[in-house]
Amino acid sequence: MRKILEDRIYSLSALLVVVVAVAGLVYPDTFLTADNFRQLLLNLSIDAIVAVGMMILLIAGVFDLSVGSILAFAGCLTAHLMFFYQVPVFWAVGAGLIASGLLGFLNGYLIAYKGINAMIQTLAMMGIARGLALMVSGAAIQNLPYWFGAIGQSRLLGVQMPVWYMLLIVGVLTFLMSKTVFFRRYYYIGSNEVAAALSGIRVKRMKMIAFIISALLAGIAGILLTSRLGAALPTMGRGLELRVITAVILGGASLSGGTGRIPGALLGALFMGIVANIMVIARVSGYWQDIIVGLILILTLWTDQSLKKNYKL
Amino acid sequence: MELLEIHHLSKSFPGVKALDDVSLAVRPGEVHALCGENGAGKSTLMHILSGNLHPETGKIVFDGKELRLKDPLDAFRSGISIVHQHLSLTDTLSVAENIFANRQPVTRWGLIDFERLYRESSVLLERLQIDVDPKVRVGTLSAGQKQMVEIAKALAREPKLLILDEPTASVTDKEVSILFRIIGQLRAEGRSVIYISHRLNEIFEIADTITVLKDGVLQGTWPARDLTRDSLIRLMVGRNLQVQEFASHRGKEVLLEARNLSNSDIHALNLKLHKGEILGMAGLVGAGRTEIARLLFGADPPRQGELLLNQEPVKVTHPENAILNGIFYLPEDRKTQSLFPHMSIEETLFSARLTGKVMTGKVRQFRESAAAFVKKLRVATPDTAKKVAQLSGGNQQKVFLAKLLLGEPKVLIADEPTHGIDIGAKHDVYNLLRQLAAEGRGIILISSELPELLTLCDRILVIRDKKIAGSLSRNEASESRILELAMGSN
Amino acid sequence: MNTDSSCNMKSKRFSRLKTVSLIWALLVAGVSCELPTRTGEGQAAGQSDETETAGPPENEEYVMVTTAVTMPMYVNHDQAAFKKWGEKTGVKVSILGPADWDVPAQINTLEEVIGTRPTGILVNGTDAALARAINKAVAAGIPTVVYDSDIPGGRHHAFLGTDWYEIGRMQGEEIVKLTGGKGKIAYMGILGLSNMEDGFRGLLDVLAGYPGMQVVGKYDDKASVEEAARITSDILAAHPDLAGLCGFDSNSGPGMALAVKELGKGGKVKITTVDWEPEHLSLVSQGVIHMLAGQKRELFTWYGAQFLHDMAHGTNRLSGNDERAGITSVPEKVNTGLIRITRENVALFLP
Repeated sequence: MRKILEDRIYSLSALLVVVVAVAGLVYPDTFLTADNFRQLLLNLSIDAIVAVGMMILLIAGVFDLSVGSILAFAGCLTAHLMFFYQVPVFWAVGAGLIASGLLGFLNGYLIAYKGINAMIQTLAMMGIARGLALMVSGAAIQNLPYWFGAIGQSRLLGVQMPVWYMLLIVGVLTFLMSKTVFFRRYYYIGSNEVAAALSGIRVKRMKMIAFIISALLAGIAGILLTSRLGAALPTMGRGLELRVITAVILGGASLSGGTGRIPGALLGALFMGIVANIMVIARVSGYWQDIIVGLILILTLWTDQSLKKNYKL
Repeated sequence: MELLEIHHLSKSFPGVKALDDVSLAVRPGEVHALCGENGAGKSTLMHILSGNLHPETGKIVFDGKELRLKDPLDAFRSGISIVHQHLSLTDTLSVAENIFANRQPVTRWGLIDFERLYRESSVLLERLQIDVDPKVRVGTLSAGQKQMVEIAKALAREPKLLILDEPTASVTDKEVSILFRIIGQLRAEGRSVIYISHRLNEIFEIADTITVLKDGVLQGTWPARDLTRDSLIRLMVGRNLQVQEFASHRGKEVLLEARNLSNSDIHALNLKLHKGEILGMAGLVGAGRTEIARLLFGADPPRQGELLLNQEPVKVTHPENAILNGIFYLPEDRKTQSLFPHMSIEETLFSARLTGKVMTGKVRQFRESAAAFVKKLRVATPDTAKKVAQLSGGNQQKVFLAKLLLGEPKVLIADEPTHGIDIGAKHDVYNLLRQLAAEGRGIILISSELPELLTLCDRILVIRDKKIAGSLSRNEASESRILELAMGSN
Repeated sequence: MNTDSSCNMKSKRFSRLKTVSLIWALLVAGVSCELPTRTGEGQAAGQSDETETAGPPENEEYVMVTTAVTMPMYVNHDQAAFKKWGEKTGVKVSILGPADWDVPAQINTLEEVIGTRPTGILVNGTDAALARAINKAVAAGIPTVVYDSDIPGGRHHAFLGTDWYEIGRMQGEEIVKLTGGKGKIAYMGILGLSNMEDGFRGLLDVLAGYPGMQVVGKYDDKASVEEAARITSDILAAHPDLAGLCGFDSNSGPGMALAVKELGKGGKVKITTVDWEPEHLSLVSQGVIHMLAGQKRELFTWYGAQFLHDMAHGTNRLSGNDERAGITSVPEKVNTGLIRITRENVALFLP
């Protein structure tokens, strides 16, 4: 029992099962349907992809507030190139990804090598990327090429593609973070940066790479969202950064670094997605969702702290 | 009448009996030394006396009244002040504000009366003959000065009982003598001191009475004059420590050579380390020994000069290069520089393999050798899934050494490897260093404990003002000779 | 023994590999990928013949899907009228959507609502990107009405709202009249929203006909009073001879008015803006704002809900089967018109 409570992957899964069971009992014909689950997975897939990047950052002991804006920028830039310059889908998507990677590089370089505080740097980038998104999109850009829409609107086994991309990204990064030396370093960096450097890890370079990965994942999410919506909105991803950080912390990361696993990011996003879905089905207004997620976040961290207390001294 | 009486105190943590029916008494005006290896229960006892922990059974009588402490503030009010091993000062505030933390004198408007604050602080510092300006920020002080401020802070409450936990761990010899003078002064005023230290010389110099704990059990209390160094060690360790005879393994070949190696801290370093040699580095705190180690290791990379390994020039611009070339560094501060707080022993050992090219993952083989090292170094637990943070200082240090040894070092730079670890672990570290030298590796040993350097080293470099002030062969070296060089002509 | 076990392991791993590749082969060959329909026209009419309702629907419920559900203007006008309609009609009405301005979240909500099959859905047309989700609702046979701004490409059954281009034109004509066709003009709103951009276009189209009017800038006040005030004082510092200001979101007017008053230019700089919240009205009576282009938001949702109700109940049948005939039995596009509020008639709007 204690073991389950202590490992967030287990405790959150258990909580999810309870929530799903209760909601299933209360709303058997609207909640527990394949259609509803397909829809809610699709809705949370964007957040989950961004959450994976945020999880890596939090494991390394840093975070990124600019992911929501980078998401919007990548989507708007890709749409802009296709709509105004008739750039082929492949190259436009490539350009969107490269641009988001560049913003991530800028974040990472200034934070890791120039010592700018991560919160301040990414806060600044949040404004810059949002501004760039507005600049390239104006109002929303619509009428995007058919094959661009196919990226996010196609279905496989009846499930829309963003869900598969999400599962692929979570799967690949779970494998990399647990089995490769390269990604494993992030745990050491987050646990103790000085000790990691003295163990021969190039901490600065690794941190910069983490910001690039996170921005790239935000870029992927932005392009997927644009494709799925069939339109690029400059307001995409507003408030996403805090939602994603919440999901990742629910999923077992801590702001002080060194803890967390990639599947936790998916679980956190899943949890928030399911709560949002239940709210819609129960016809409860939007702000209640924020209140409930906030309360659950406090509750989980509180439980953690009270469990830890027994080990003190 | 006794000032402090402890009757049948017990306290356990999950899986450990930290204190088992311990009784002891402290007289007024007595310096009472508390000895024992790490994990013997000294810290638990101190935490109980300072109100941080609550005993399960037993009672404490202080100044004739039974004491039930709810929290540290309660202890202060009762007249017990404690100086912790880990400093409790705020770097960004002034010395005076630290001394009167949370009880600054106020004006009748309820605002902090800085004039009075500084005045009272300087009176106190003067009385203790501590030469520190009360207005200066604590962050600018040396480790030793901070320790003095910490003591002043404890004494500002005019305690009847002062508890000092390893007060000399990061302090120069000059400051040690100031500290001892303060303790003498307290004793003359009829105040009592409980003194905890691993440095046996200090204990015999200052203590009136010695109490020994081992594994949470009281071994006994004796007048200091009734014990000798050897009998005290025997009581603490429970076994006779073999003192190995010195044997030099220094070979002819030069293993590591620095030629005019410089960075912003160190100017033109020249040194040679032979195969199988243990090269000591002595000096006062802040003399530049750690800076030299970081220069050689690439943590503060060189801007000029050459580093040669086996007569071949090597470029060491990052610890990664150093490690890939077989140069390893054991940092000075375990907690901030070596410890990964979330990691198990195995995961910590695994950090030996995170450098450079991705190494091929024969994880099982690695695990076996890791387990073998853990056993060989006599780490207290064979369970490699245990968190390193839960081990005692000595065992932590062994794990960190094992991590370095897994990388097959050619050169090992050990910075204060026995700092704050108990005497049994110390001997294990000594034996290990000797064995490594016998295998033909080169060792640079930085230490503030002169006896340690004198027993282990083939040669001792004395560092002063970021420069090598002198090089003493084993035969030339003595404590006084080293101190002379370390302190300079005046 | 050692080789034995490793052999065993190998074969196990191999068989696992086989299963995995088998699954993939199935995925790729058997099920394959379903691409989206080309232009989206294919599913227009035919798909939903099941839902021609005979009698009144069971568990009647109408859902409003909006964004920024807490925005006072939405709460006081759109949502209040919708709720009042529900009470009067005696059916259940629900209001859903994210607390903040977040269109993708509104789309997610809409898509999740479709699965719960309400009787009718009333969608706040915040952005053109809603089109796909609206079409999904229509394809699912749910009566769907959009209000406020129309959604191009959406196949919703009806739209009620204001023509934002007209809002822009109305402000343009008023400001030309107020300034006598000469002088510097600045305008602000939330940049990047399609309805605002339509409004900006209407304004500029009018001004283009008056060579004496000079546009000094287009600004993003981010729907914040403070931001609008800051921008206004900056503009006035750069152009002390500024003749007029036009605002396009609810907070533009109060912000512009605040800055103009603080600089002692109240009444001298002509201001036109949108919306008629109590704050706007009082600024008109003070003479700081010269004209409000108001929307009849109550009518959007009241009649929107009524349209949904009439569709669900088949109140007016125009053919044997309206849905199959490809017609809608309610008005398709309703322009509720604008309210022009000036100092002359403001007293009638004050509570």
